[in-house]
Amino acid sequence: MLFSRRALVRALAASSFVLAAAQAHAQSVKIGIVGPFSGPFAHYGALFKAAAEAYVAGQGGKLGGREVELIYRDTGGPNPAQAKGLVQELIVKDKVDYLGGFVFTPNALAVAPLIQQSQTPTVIFNAATSAITEKSDYFVRTGYTLWQVTVPLARWAAKQHIARVVTAVTDYGPGLDAEAAFKNEFARQGGTVVESIRMPIATTDFGPFVQRIKASGAQAVYTFLPGGPPNLGFIKAYNENGLARSGVRFLGTAETDEFDLQKFGDSAVGLTTAFHYSGAHDSAANKAFVAALKKQDPGAVANYASVGAWDGMYVIQKMIEATGGRKDGPKAIAAARALQWESPRGPVRIDGKTRHITQDVYLRQVEMVGGVAVNKEVESFGPQLDHGLAQ
Amino acid sequence: MNTSTTLQGPAKAPSEARHAAAPRCRPAWRAPLVVLALGALACALLPEQLGLMTRIFIAALFVLSLDLVVGVAGLATLGHAAVFGTGAYAAGIFALKVMPDPLAGLAIGIGAGGLLALASGAFLLRYQGFTFLMLTVAVAQIVLSLAQKARDWTGGDDGLSGFTVGPLLGHFAFDLEGRVAAFYALAVLVLMHYVARRLVDSPFGLAVRGIHENRARMAALGTPVYRRLLAMYAAAGAIAGAAGALSAQTNAIVGLDSLSFALSAEALVMLILGGAGRLSGALVGAVVFTLLHHTAASINPYHWLFVVGFMLMAVVLVSPAKAWGWLRRRVGAAS
Amino acid sequence: MTVLFNIAVDGLAYGMVLFVIAVGLSLTLGLMRFVNLSHCAFAMVGGYCAAFLVRQAQWNFWLAVPAAIIATAALGAVLEMLVLRHLYRRKELDQVLFTIGLSFFLIAATNALAGPQVQLIPLPPGLAGSVDLGFRTLPAQRLLVIGAGLAVAAGAAWIVARTRFGVWLRAAVDHSGTASSLGIPIRVVQCASFAAGAALAGFGGILGAELMPLEPYYALKYLVLVLVVVAVGGMGSIAGSLAAAVVLGVIETASKYLASDWGSLFFFLAMAALLAWRPDGLLKR
Repeated sequence: MLFSRRALVRALAASSFVLAAAQAHAQSVKIGIVGPFSGPFAHYGALFKAAAEAYVAGQGGKLGGREVELIYRDTGGPNPAQAKGLVQELIVKDKVDYLGGFVFTPNALAVAPLIQQSQTPTVIFNAATSAITEKSDYFVRTGYTLWQVTVPLARWAAKQHIARVVTAVTDYGPGLDAEAAFKNEFARQGGTVVESIRMPIATTDFGPFVQRIKASGAQAVYTFLPGGPPNLGFIKAYNENGLARSGVRFLGTAETDEFDLQKFGDSAVGLTTAFHYSGAHDSAANKAFVAALKKQDPGAVANYASVGAWDGMYVIQKMIEATGGRKDGPKAIAAARALQWESPRGPVRIDGKTRHITQDVYLRQVEMVGGVAVNKEVESFGPQLDHGLAQ
Repeated sequence: MNTSTTLQGPAKAPSEARHAAAPRCRPAWRAPLVVLALGALACALLPEQLGLMTRIFIAALFVLSLDLVVGVAGLATLGHAAVFGTGAYAAGIFALKVMPDPLAGLAIGIGAGGLLALASGAFLLRYQGFTFLMLTVAVAQIVLSLAQKARDWTGGDDGLSGFTVGPLLGHFAFDLEGRVAAFYALAVLVLMHYVARRLVDSPFGLAVRGIHENRARMAALGTPVYRRLLAMYAAAGAIAGAAGALSAQTNAIVGLDSLSFALSAEALVMLILGGAGRLSGALVGAVVFTLLHHTAASINPYHWLFVVGFMLMAVVLVSPAKAWGWLRRRVGAAS
Repeated sequence: MTVLFNIAVDGLAYGMVLFVIAVGLSLTLGLMRFVNLSHCAFAMVGGYCAAFLVRQAQWNFWLAVPAAIIATAALGAVLEMLVLRHLYRRKELDQVLFTIGLSFFLIAATNALAGPQVQLIPLPPGLAGSVDLGFRTLPAQRLLVIGAGLAVAAGAAWIVARTRFGVWLRAAVDHSGTASSLGIPIRVVQCASFAAGAALAGFGGILGAELMPLEPYYALKYLVLVLVVVAVGGMGSIAGSLAAAVVLGVIETASKYLASDWGSLFFFLAMAALLAWRPDGLLKR
């Protein structure tokens, strides 16, 4: 009983701390950024933060003439119940006007009913499953989807006279999405997918899977991995087991992400990917973005996560301008639907129907430029829709 | 032998020996009523934190069920998340495929948790000690792998979502602020706490405590040890299933993290922190740990583990009972 | 067929890594009856030290690895002397709680010092390449792992069975009171055993860095695997740990080759079956 009284005092103290910490500015626009800030995917959160703050700083510290307050919440990883709890708190307690972030599909799906009910416009910086934007009218996405980047890759592979491909994807939503996208398009182009390997999400040793790829007799492997340690592991296994020498070409999307690219060193040279953003994209907008990011955080890398956040803040800015800084979900979304601009990745627009970003997808190969590995854009496939929703 | 040392109540006068048939304890409704009052007060004082309150109530219920297994029956387990997650998925699938009524879903969750506990307990309880502990881990991981594989039913790594939970008692719809959810969770917690208290204070509960203290002696007294432990394990599983169902219904989503080893370990830590065996310790541990996690994580998610690691080590090295005793002696010496 | 050879080779390599990390815990648990759930944290510390020495301090790989192992042993010895020895008499749950707290602390410290990214240990040119075995190429590092695992098994068995220290160890475990009255320095034996266990864990962390990437959550992420090996192999049995690690490693690898969408189901089914069949350990009758 004595112990529980002490614990009670501790509990009350802790909760009053929480109360005290929730002091809000009346005038500023509040934006909640939800993502992983701890754990193995913490670099996503750090990149979102760096890019968002770099953008706001670049606009003179205000968006649409209003002060903005960025509130960060940590989901740790794919943790839908926690994401939902955090977003509920952001909406009810912190009274945010906009939400941004979301790396993992399950987290985005979990908050769909909340943002629909509260009419909070939510910009997805990364989560890549096509179906997400259909779950609520208030989702806008500035990231990408698997179908969007995979369909042009499949077409290209067929044109290269690659007839047999093996797919190796991580066994979860976006991975299965990627597998379906590739199989669908590749079959339409006349090719065959000889085997579909699914790798558990907790896999750290990709040796066995790479051996299976070798044994499948395919001419190329199409792969999708969630980003972070698995990508590193897979590419290392691909190289160490001599797959390139055996004539199995590598077809990927986000695997040569700038964040990990330098770790591969020479072994990554020649890897072929199709993706919507390369840090080496040659345009004035990209050069400005890279410079602003470096200024905000010298350790930050210009990659698909940071550009997703950068463009996401642009969309939020436009929404603030359209609503005059007041919270008006339907009006903000209507304004977002009409957006069209030059992003660091190339020319983009928000599709009016799907609220997903239409963007150019490029074919890239890894090259060494000045001793640094970069994704060199070899070819552009032109503007791509979210093909996943057209199914 | 003075059996009253194992019970919560103080030693009773001989004149009350005529009531020797029933164990002497505080009335079972007292502690749950205190919990109800405190919970309602907390919800009234912090109307914008009701999501957090709901999470605390669910955690408290889960750790309460763990206390029945670890504290009362003395079976250290690291696989209790299996029954929690099973209850959650059962309630979620029920809401998705059959009907969205929350109380029916709660019943399904309780049943699913209890059934899994009965089935796994029948196998597990043949072993003891470290072997038992590791087998609970194995059973939990097997359930997790099966849930991952059965993607069509459970949503796999994406989680089970898209189900809506109907209004409670046909009248109170779950609102955005979480008021209905919080009071629903609190009500279930209080009810289950009462049930657990009655269970533990009953002759059955005493037999299980006896088995914890000395299995051989209880067997020599003719107690069917295996059956008693299995019954307690199944009861705990049912209560954990209720917690899981609550989690599924108040979040409208069930993820694979509800079956994870990390959840089992966290619950065990919460229990040991608060003190195992008394049921109230389970509640206190859950409240303190969850609040601390929430506060520390929102200040700086990176350094939360410093705080909890340090706290755990401190609690073990300087056990609260000893610290309190030392404090009392200092105060006593001064006056 | 090729698949079976592949499973055997990859499974053996994976099993050896598990063995090297688990054997220290098995000895600590079995011989010292101390539930040390921070064991994988020592493996993590060993790996991080090696990564730091090779990458940041630019040491030679073959110097950095022994140095990292010694550093881990030193950390283990210091912790044992300062804190852990007070816990030998305490209840198991107290030991569990404390060592989990220690793990959390080490995870947070690693995160604060080195950041959340995966740490790679750059291999020397001799190890970085691949060896052509005819039917497949095998990364040379895997061969090192298999060799090192066998060496550790042989070494540990020899020390426990044939040296004076091993005799002291077994005596101290059987009855520390009698042992100390016979002049055996119990404190030294306990401290040295714990440090040795930590050193082995650190070595395992370095060897396994390719298969089990080094990141701050390493300490808890692989704890279940290691505990499984210890449980199935039997506490305190080196041969048992080796057998359990290899069997379970092969089964896990086989399921990756043959039924990868079932995840780790077969690993845990096998574990439950083996444990139910031989509750005291694989090789104990």
